[in-house]
Amino acid sequence: MRLDRIWIVAKKDMAEFRTNKYIMYTLVLMPLLMALVLPTIYLTPVTMFSAPSEPYDLGIVSNQTLENETIQGGTYQNITFVDCVLEDVIAESCYFEGCELRTSLVRSSQLANSTVFDGAVMRSNVLNVTFNNAVASDLRNMGEDTEQESFLFQFIGFLLLFFILIPAIIPTVIASYSFVGEKLNRSLEPLLATPTTDAELLAGKSLSIFLPTMLVTWLSFIPFVLLVNFLAAPILGYAPLPDLTWLIGVFLLAPLFCIMAIALNVIVSSRVTDVRASQQLGSLVVLPVVAVFIISLSGLFVLGPLTMLLMAGVIALVDIGIAYLTVRTFQREEILIRWK
Amino acid sequence: MIETHGLTRTFGDNTAVDALDLKIRDGEVFGFIGPNGAGKTTTVRMLCCLIAPTAGTAYVHGLDVNRPEEALLIRGKIGLLPEVPGLYESLSAYRNLDFYAQLYDVPKGVRAERIESLLRTLGMWERRDDAVGKFSKGMKQKIAIARALVHEPDYLFLDEPTSGLDPEASLTVRNYLLDLKKEGRTIFLNTHNLDDAARLCDRVGVMRTSLLAIGSPDELAGMFWGHTTVVRMRRVGPGMTEAVGSLPGVTAVRQEGTSLLVDAASPDDANPLIMKVLISMGGEVLSMGELKRGLEDVYLKLLGGKR
Repeated sequence: MRLDRIWIVAKKDMAEFRTNKYIMYTLVLMPLLMALVLPTIYLTPVTMFSAPSEPYDLGIVSNQTLENETIQGGTYQNITFVDCVLEDVIAESCYFEGCELRTSLVRSSQLANSTVFDGAVMRSNVLNVTFNNAVASDLRNMGEDTEQESFLFQFIGFLLLFFILIPAIIPTVIASYSFVGEKLNRSLEPLLATPTTDAELLAGKSLSIFLPTMLVTWLSFIPFVLLVNFLAAPILGYAPLPDLTWLIGVFLLAPLFCIMAIALNVIVSSRVTDVRASQQLGSLVVLPVVAVFIISLSGLFVLGPLTMLLMAGVIALVDIGIAYLTVRTFQREEILIRWK
Repeated sequence: MIETHGLTRTFGDNTAVDALDLKIRDGEVFGFIGPNGAGKTTTVRMLCCLIAPTAGTAYVHGLDVNRPEEALLIRGKIGLLPEVPGLYESLSAYRNLDFYAQLYDVPKGVRAERIESLLRTLGMWERRDDAVGKFSKGMKQKIAIARALVHEPDYLFLDEPTSGLDPEASLTVRNYLLDLKKEGRTIFLNTHNLDDAARLCDRVGVMRTSLLAIGSPDELAGMFWGHTTVVRMRRVGPGMTEAVGSLPGVTAVRQEGTSLLVDAASPDDANPLIMKVLISMGGEVLSMGELKRGLEDVYLKLLGGKR
């Protein structure tokens, strides 16, 4: 196999793509949508309604500790309550640990592992506090991994799945023009009459799809990382990206999905005579990626580095199988006689 | 040289080409004529190593089309103009040719020079940077011919080169093919255009799945008809047909309007006698000449059509 011939074919195809407005729209708009627009739309509200993560400096000085007591009514200040039940009390600058507060008003205090029924808690630091029909205002979390942070982290993972979706969708559009377009234009016959092997042609045409797809995927990953870090770092207290899981996802799993999409689309293109039909059938390739989305969101498994590597291994095996079928499909006699 | 030995191709139960034996000499322009579905394109595809024969084999430049490693070499030595030009419509004429020149390993320095020469010869140099999609059918055909020649192949396969072209474009293409013929290239021409075949080809093969006849246009006519003399008269008088028919060497006479069509083994011997007897009977002879049988007659005779 001659690499220079592969590159000649790829260069020609890419030159053609540059003149195709549908391909160019797809290459520009889809990454823009997935890397910038969607993260902005989805993450901004989360950050707007979230409390800053740093707890208040309340300067509480505890003068007294009350344990396992039931307290009814009264106003309290600078007291530590441990495993107490408090009802109809007003408290300020107090510590609550393992307490149950009913119809009480708490302000500038610190609550941990407690439950609040009715009443209100304002401008306080909380850790693992359950509110039941109570008003919570200006609260700050003290824990490392609050529910909100955990949600945000999961959501970033969800957005990152777009970077596997992009390399699965773009080849569907490009391949439909590349293979079906060439078939409709009847330009394959003179091409097949050159001293180029079937494998060189297939590799060249596939490379012309792979390169722009992965280029826009990786290029759009950079502003995505910057944007997510900009929006999420104030909440999380650190920049969540890039992390190892998604480096594996974007730089290993995404190219493997891209190869799968290209190979499947070559097979689809050999059987259809219409660019749109090819796109519709070819787009079925996103189903495995969507399955990963759903499973990830359902919490059935956590996307860690090991899961990503395992998934990459499975997709690599699938790629080998589909690539074998593609090579069998892309033979000049098949193309001239059976490609309809 | 192009040789085929029992070259056969079937598609399921349908035989497209049946035991074709051909020998085309170097520098010869060979025309392949036949109706649609006669197997002409299939033959070209087998010779260009695009599809494999079901049986038999073919050699192009001494290389066997059935051997994959030799097929690759054959494809480097041939230029193909398919029935549909199949150009990259969004790319310029120059870019189309440059792409193929690269695939055919035309050295970088030579490439630009050769493309310019071809485009100038075909009158397309001024339009070299225009996208091919903007071109007329005739202009596209010229670019496709240039593409087939960009690597200066020894063998040129042309499938219906003037099909669907207007008379002017058709004439340009035909004249260019005549120039190529003068250069001594071996040209294999598939055509429905019998006029093209008669003007361009040294030999013609009539095909309908199998080869029905082969030879130069004159040889083909001679296979089916003897020499016929056409005697155009002001009026054919009574007894003239019979008198001419009784002359020595005359095998048949028939009257068509005011003309007599006389079949004779040797027109040089028979014609003076014919003239003499007609004048002696008071006939006024306006002209006398040989009836030319064209490829169309041969084609229709072989393929069972009617004039």
